[in-house]
Amino acid sequence: MTTPTSSRGRRRAPTRIERAAGRAAALQRPRVVLALLLLLALTCVMLLDGYLRAEVGGDQRVRSGADSSEVPDAILDGGPILTFRGGQATTVSVPAKTIALTFDDGPDPTWTPQVLDILRKYDVPGTFFLVGSMVSRYPGIVRTMVEQGNEVGIHTFTHVDLSYQSASRVDREMEQTQLALAGAAGITTTLFRAPYSSETDAVDNYSWPVYQRLGKDGYTSVFVDTDSDDWKRPGVSDIVKWATPKGTRGTSVLFHDAGGERSQTIAALPRYIEKMKAKGYTFTTISGVMERQRAADRQAAGGGTPAGLRLQAAHHQATGLTLYEGKALVAAVAVAEWTVPTLSVGLAIVGVAVLGRFAMMLVLARRHHRQRNGRRFAWGPPVTGPVSVIVPAYNEKECIANTLQSLARSTHPIEIIVVDDGSTDGTSRIARDAAESLGMTNVRVVRQENAGKPAALNNGVRDASYDIVVMMDGDTVFEPDTVRYLVQPFADPSVGAVAGNAKVGNRTTVIGAWQHIEYVMGFNLDRRMYDLLRCMPTIPGAIGAFRRDAVLAVGGMSEDTLAEDTDITIAMHRAGWRVVYQEHARAWTEAPGSLGQLWSQRYRWSYGTMQALWKHRESLTDRGPSGRFGRVGMPLVVVFQVVTPLFAPLIDVFTAYSMIFVDFRAALLAWLAVLGVQLLCAAYAFRLDREKYRYLLMMPLQQLAYRQMMYLVLIHSCVTALTGGRLRWQKLKRTGEVGTPAGAG
Amino acid sequence: MFVDTTGRRSKVLRRLGLFLGAVCLAYAGVLAAAFMGWGTSLNPSSLLPFGTSAEGGRAPGRIRPEGGIGRQADLPDTIRPTASPTASTTPSASASASADAN
Repeated sequence: MTTPTSSRGRRRAPTRIERAAGRAAALQRPRVVLALLLLLALTCVMLLDGYLRAEVGGDQRVRSGADSSEVPDAILDGGPILTFRGGQATTVSVPAKTIALTFDDGPDPTWTPQVLDILRKYDVPGTFFLVGSMVSRYPGIVRTMVEQGNEVGIHTFTHVDLSYQSASRVDREMEQTQLALAGAAGITTTLFRAPYSSETDAVDNYSWPVYQRLGKDGYTSVFVDTDSDDWKRPGVSDIVKWATPKGTRGTSVLFHDAGGERSQTIAALPRYIEKMKAKGYTFTTISGVMERQRAADRQAAGGGTPAGLRLQAAHHQATGLTLYEGKALVAAVAVAEWTVPTLSVGLAIVGVAVLGRFAMMLVLARRHHRQRNGRRFAWGPPVTGPVSVIVPAYNEKECIANTLQSLARSTHPIEIIVVDDGSTDGTSRIARDAAESLGMTNVRVVRQENAGKPAALNNGVRDASYDIVVMMDGDTVFEPDTVRYLVQPFADPSVGAVAGNAKVGNRTTVIGAWQHIEYVMGFNLDRRMYDLLRCMPTIPGAIGAFRRDAVLAVGGMSEDTLAEDTDITIAMHRAGWRVVYQEHARAWTEAPGSLGQLWSQRYRWSYGTMQALWKHRESLTDRGPSGRFGRVGMPLVVVFQVVTPLFAPLIDVFTAYSMIFVDFRAALLAWLAVLGVQLLCAAYAFRLDREKYRYLLMMPLQQLAYRQMMYLVLIHSCVTALTGGRLRWQKLKRTGEVGTPAGAG
Repeated sequence: MFVDTTGRRSKVLRRLGLFLGAVCLAYAGVLAAAFMGWGTSLNPSSLLPFGTSAEGGRAPGRIRPEGGIGRQADLPDTIRPTASPTASTTPSASASASADAN
């Protein structure tokens, strides 16, 4: 849950970068479709994962103590194997001195292989009643199980009490498990054991219809004669004792190879097998039991020799669509099993990084504030010499007069160079008239063919008479002290550039308030941190000051990127200059007033930032100051302005998922906790800037709309960068409502 | 910076996007089919055990790991059906192959 606080308070005029290529536009719509498909797939993965873990559609209810008046006595007193051959309920008992080992709830990655090893060692077969969700998650174990000659049955897909479920849910539970078996081991089965069932005398009026229905479908329901109660973990000797039938009676005995810690079962099983073998018992599967009974019947009827042993007679080879759908299901589960943990780890890393960043920002912002406002702090001797203020202007008729008016009250000696970048709305004339009416003699208006903001700035730098140049936007308004504060850091000869503090003037609307919060946090936390770490990535276009020589030395403003301010700032760092933040130099700027305008502004910023980072990628391997920026600044900017916002949608999806399916209260609390941390940071930023706290009321809402928009913009610009489409300039619409600073509080 | 002048990158990405979209759609389709029970009729009534169904259907049951160490021990009192291992050789091979294809 992050707010990309990358505000830089700048505005752009068009450059000569060409219009978007048709390709980029053509990609636009398929992109949205692809994004929605990805979201669909992610939702599927998460729902599947939740279903497998019984978070989605899980049902914990278990019926007990219900009446059994409608269940035939023959069933209640009958053997543990219930079939409906010919539509007639028939029970089969286990013959004397015979044991059918049955294991419920598996497969489990820890215990089932151990059980299989024991069975293999003693060369006895078992019958495993498998939970479909576990089968799909651990198909390899089931394959080994079947190959070893064990029989498998269905124990539903999600281990629910079927007596509570609708007929269609029962059908789906069975079919899903069959698919999982088909995908895992290439078979389907006709054996079934109901979860929470035990002996036949526990069949009640609610579960009896389920057995009847499943029986008519051809399923054989398998119950228990002897329950080891191993899940209670009573100790090895008790498990063996409880599992042992009386005398020489045959038995279907229940163990559990999953569903909890099963080391006692693992320890008891060899002892039990040895004990029963010593008593002359033999072991078989459920099908083996039925086969023996049939053979016994046949012999009793004077029939011929017993038929061949078919210990896995309940299995059928899965073919055709069932087989392929089963394999697809197992593959889909594998994808989900791999995706969800990967995403969780990614999210955890991002979460820790974000919280770590907040902590670091709080600490460093406090230190920055203390350091720069200490009584004994000074950059050096006061800077009192005149400086040049460059105002690039493209169609700024609404704002330019206000801008000049604010500069006229400057308490620092300045010359003003208005560079009219080929305006068509008479900006130059308005500027000249305004200067005249204000009695300003220090204003020069330079006109150029429309060539873009970087060119206009370069033009201004060339025309500047003084060593220090202040750059601002044509729609920005300075306070009287702004320039004086802004140039003081140049008393330190190592400082090459200074960033000022841009404030949103039009903050009465919701969208303005959101940007206001973002700006205050961006300038008071991010920029202070970057200042102390000496890796500030951007000097805002709305207010910044440079050493003229330094700008010329790095080749001036470049048109290589759409974020020439980030570009030049990084270039200054790489040339060895210090870039600092001057909080008291405030500039009031007009933030985009509509969502569309905000979108296009941020789209350009994030695209331009990525361009600038890519342009200066060599700083990563450089030595000296350039390498320092590469090692410290680059990773910070990449992680927090690109990677984190890209992960942000996942945060939302996971939050929504946990709220709906896992634990609404806990998820909401976690969300509120993160919001609280952000509020705390924002409040601290507001305090440092002495801003009114009431705007913070907008913050919860900001988390639900603004943040999503910001990451969508970032994804949009990432995709544009990837596809190589061109990004075109758009002039933002201005109202000129940001006038005097006093009126904007 | 970043501008793709040749158009090759956009072409590759478009194909990649198409592929990715198809994969996503297929994934959702598989899950829907599997969990809604589309396209499968697993009603086993036609495959009742001990019915008259063909011997081949029981093939997976006949796999004997490690060359014939089978399940004979559980029925020492019956005559070992010598015919069964040979009869099952072919189907079991195909069954294990299909299982391995997973």
